[in-house]
Amino acid sequence: MAGLLSYVIRRLLFVIPVFIAVSILTFIIANAAGSPIDIIRHAIQRITPSQLAALQSFYHLNQPITVRYFIWLNDFLHGNLGQSLYGGSVSAQMLPWVSTTLELQLVSLALSLGIGIPIGLYSAKHQYSKTDVAVTTASIFGYSTPVFLIGIFLIIVFSIDLHWLPGNGAVSPYAPYWWGSVFADQVAHIILPATALTLVSIAVYVRLIRANVLEVLRQDYILAARASGLREWSITYKHALKNAITPVVTVVGLTVASFLAGAPATETTFGWPGLGFRFVTAALNLDLPVVQGITMVITIVALVFILVTDLAYAFLDPRVRLS
Amino acid sequence: MSGQQAPVKPPTRRRSASQWAVAWRRFRRNKAALAGLVIVGFFAFLGVFGSTIAPYPARDPVCFYTGCTSLGPFVNWSHPLGTEPAGYDIYSEILQSAKNDLYVGLGATLISLGIGVSVGALAGYRKGTSAALLLGISQIFFVLPALVIILLFARIFVTLVAVGLGLTLIMLILGLFGWPGIAFVVRGEVIRLRELEFVQAERAIGASNTRILYRHIVPNILSPIIVFATLTIAANILTEVAISFLGFGDPNTATWGLLIQEGFQYPNYWWIAVFPGLAVVFSVLGFNILGDGLSDAFNPRLRE
Repeated sequence: MAGLLSYVIRRLLFVIPVFIAVSILTFIIANAAGSPIDIIRHAIQRITPSQLAALQSFYHLNQPITVRYFIWLNDFLHGNLGQSLYGGSVSAQMLPWVSTTLELQLVSLALSLGIGIPIGLYSAKHQYSKTDVAVTTASIFGYSTPVFLIGIFLIIVFSIDLHWLPGNGAVSPYAPYWWGSVFADQVAHIILPATALTLVSIAVYVRLIRANVLEVLRQDYILAARASGLREWSITYKHALKNAITPVVTVVGLTVASFLAGAPATETTFGWPGLGFRFVTAALNLDLPVVQGITMVITIVALVFILVTDLAYAFLDPRVRLS
Repeated sequence: MSGQQAPVKPPTRRRSASQWAVAWRRFRRNKAALAGLVIVGFFAFLGVFGSTIAPYPARDPVCFYTGCTSLGPFVNWSHPLGTEPAGYDIYSEILQSAKNDLYVGLGATLISLGIGVSVGALAGYRKGTSAALLLGISQIFFVLPALVIILLFARIFVTLVAVGLGLTLIMLILGLFGWPGIAFVVRGEVIRLRELEFVQAERAIGASNTRILYRHIVPNILSPIIVFATLTIAANILTEVAISFLGFGDPNTATWGLLIQEGFQYPNYWWIAVFPGLAVVFSVLGFNILGDGLSDAFNPRLRE
């Protein structure tokens, strides 16, 4: 267990430089966008010198940029992400945004693993069968299609043409909700975005599981298991699957992280009010505190996913801890 | 080597096939890979000759003046894939976009290759602090939410878009943030090769590090680099499409993502988004299966 603990600490320490790098990067980009006062002043006519001075001291513009970075970092570490240029504290809104994003990501993660693992396993067991060819072809198509494109197709078909499902937002803005139930309404809203995200992420997992199971089935110990007369299902499920799944665990974190990074496109398509959607709106409006805050939060959430899977991998495969 | 010196039995010794010839022979037998090559060839053709074939200039609202706006597909054969409410001809716009999307996809990949191969080779070949530092920097860039940062850059440097540098800007940012994957692949391969006998032998006869790296190691890792680069082109095209779709691209340059965005604003006119969408899917698919095919051809062990 000592090996595992030191591994955990090493991975945790890696988070710190990443965090600093991202914070400096977003801070520089946000400052390159211009002074927040110039952005606000579009809305303020005939600003008085005393108002200007008040704004300058509020945004610490009389300080050099390096000092402002540390002021910002200090605020950030105290959970204060500043005020949106369009009103409202950023930190207060952040939690609902994060949970909305995670809701979509986790639903689709559960669906794509739940469907993807059996399909990948079946495909590998029946390599080059008609089903396998169909699965491989479908997955390479899924792999090559952006989530938002599938989203647009789904919206056109199921929302615009058939009027079956809502294609925008996370809840209906009006009552009565579906069958009078708020929960049913939320489920109805998540179906299309979750389907789009799942179709793409399933493709990633199926390809991976299939390749790993094929690799494991070629190993000598499987041959030995066959030679000793074990039943085929026991070879597949007890011996092969366990070793084939372990590398998949590492990729789950990276895949979720990449879908989180892709959240701006996915969420904008469906008007899903999570981090990605808010980011796009804020970036187009140059709402810099929101943009900075969301960039940091997306990075942290993605890092947490990567970290958790790293640890799960180290826990499952003792060889990892040594390297 | 020649046969004249052996009159008794003319030796039929041939030069053994090179690694590339063997790979090509394997590649030819792989139908999916050949399909990928054909698709990529088709889109390369569109990239070069698309503007010539296209019946109308890029971003030209032809139908705005003649009143053929919002036409459905396969109705009027002078506008085979339909038109937009703003008057753009979809078929023409898709052809005009091909070169722009490929420009970003290829250009960004070349930039990533340049950075990734150098960083990866150094991080793999060197030992000690500099290698650890390079590895750390790659890992930091690897976990950055690339699309978010790219969107930020695209929004901040919007003045460059106004002077017609929108595509180049996106290409540069994509390239500058897309290299860690290549660096990891190269580093892994270099570490594997570094300890092999032929490199040790070269070192024993006193070759310089530069010579070992560029004459002996880099040629041996070309195949994984080519595979990874092909897949990176696909990924870069996808990201470019996402950027344009979100409205962070140049609205005056035809790209598939821009068309998809315009189609998304008029979901009742499905053909505006669907046909450029198919162009995206098939071009990316082409690069993906070409990359997979190359990978199988270079590493037959993975197949079977």
